Amino acid sequence: MIRFIDVTKVYANGVVGLAGANLHVGKGEFAFIVGESGSGKSTLLKLITREETPNTGEVQVNGYNVHAMGRWEVPLLRRSLGMVFQDFRLLPNRTAYENVAFAMQMVESLPREIRRQVPLALGLVGLGKKARSYPSQLSGGEQQRVVLARALVNNPAVLIADEPTGNLDPKTSWEIMNLLDEVNQRGTTVLVATHEKNIVDAMKKRVISLERGTIISDAEKGRYEHED
Amino acid sequence: MKIRTMRLLSREGVSNVVKNKLMSLASIGTVVIALLLLGLVLLVAINVKSNMDQMRKELEVLVFLNIDINDLDREAIKAYIREREAAGEVASWKYESKEDAYRNLQASFSDPALLKGMTSDQMAESFSIRLANPEDGAHFIEPLSQMPGIQPEPDGINYPQQTLERITGFADILNTVTLALMGIMLVISVFIISNTIRLTVFARRKEIEIMRHVGALDSFIRMPFFVEGIVIGILSAAAAFLLTWRGYGWTHDTLNLMLADLGFGMFILVPFEPVGMRIVLLYFIIGMAIGGIGSLISVRKHLNV
Repeated sequence: MIRFIDVTKVYANGVVGLAGANLHVGKGEFAFIVGESGSGKSTLLKLITREETPNTGEVQVNGYNVHAMGRWEVPLLRRSLGMVFQDFRLLPNRTAYENVAFAMQMVESLPREIRRQVPLALGLVGLGKKARSYPSQLSGGEQQRVVLARALVNNPAVLIADEPTGNLDPKTSWEIMNLLDEVNQRGTTVLVATHEKNIVDAMKKRVISLERGTIISDAEKGRYEHED
Repeated sequence: MKIRTMRLLSREGVSNVVKNKLMSLASIGTVVIALLLLGLVLLVAINVKSNMDQMRKELEVLVFLNIDINDLDREAIKAYIREREAAGEVASWKYESKEDAYRNLQASFSDPALLKGMTSDQMAESFSIRLANPEDGAHFIEPLSQMPGIQPEPDGINYPQQTLERITGFADILNTVTLALMGIMLVISVFIISNTIRLTVFARRKEIEIMRHVGALDSFIRMPFFVEGIVIGILSAAAAFLLTWRGYGWTHDTLNLMLADLGFGMFILVPFEPVGMRIVLLYFIIGMAIGGIGSLISVRKHLNV
């Protein structure tokens, strides 16, 4: 599904994002990416979504070299990726329903499809009853659920979450992680960059550890080995 | 892009204009000023040109005949003028006989005593000719000057070549200055609009980022800003036109009265109606163009997330 071959990314200011990374995440896998701030977690995710391009090496998504894609192909790549962020990124002047529908409108889904899929997605994250609420009327956990619904509504093959629980309390964090797990059970590949040691340790998933841009360990049913 | 998407994104653009009232008003204000300056330059140019054309049309070739000219020579000159008139080179012409000349001279002196001793026999007959194209003066005069019966140089043929050259030269300078000013105005306007759109792009960077993340095409992302620019352009054009229409109407009435009072009745401002349509078109085309181009420039600069 996702493959990194000797990928190196050095930013213009000389900061090393990723150094010679090799990685393969198969279809339907669930993997945590852990490491300190600046260890390269976000760089790794941004290389997948092509917000960044590697200096050397190759990043493949679905067998396609992401770096070699034309500018017009990038939106198509992103349609196959659902994204969730620490800071939610919801449109404040739209309701939960409209925020999720927005993702479908942007890929020109039929209005009929939008009316059918949006309530389904909101139901899946347990927000069926809050469809008409604006983000400011929702709690942090609820907002992140809306984001998750938005990421899932177009049925992406891969869900990418960058510190999805960074702004949430422990109980809510667990709810979100469980939801991600549920999404994964339904067949979506899930990649989660996180700091949450307790959750990572308890969930017993694959853990990819980064340190200063290098993958230092990659373990099935692994543990979070760093102390932040 | 599907029509419903276009509608959705256009609505977005229009609502941005309303949502960012202050910013929109500021940029409409600046574009209106730019358009008004453009209109002013254009109207001044049109008026100067119209008055100069009038002056040029009134330039006459005066041909004075010998006092003792015979009928044959006179008829030959007349025939030449008629021939050129038939060829479309002469707009109109007039023959002034000795008697006419004497009467005109009499009329121009209040005291008849001054003409004492003069008779119409001493007057010269003349032709006054208005050319269709005053620049062709030399071409018309050349053969004429060879004809018998015309007074010798420098009195025989009188054509204000210098005046004509001055007018033409002035018109050329005016045209160049007008074009240069217009060009500068356009560049400034594009700059102003692109700055305004940049602020909108900045205000909406979150939304743009989300659009990118869910896989919206670049054209989708550009569309609302493009529409916003065009709407600002249209509103500016409408406002500028209203101001120009009212402002010029008032200036036209006031200035023409003033010029007439001051004895400059030959200079008049042209009425608005015939040029109005051109100004409307110009305002809307240029308003929309600078709105659209300005927004594209600024979106292009800021789209590379």
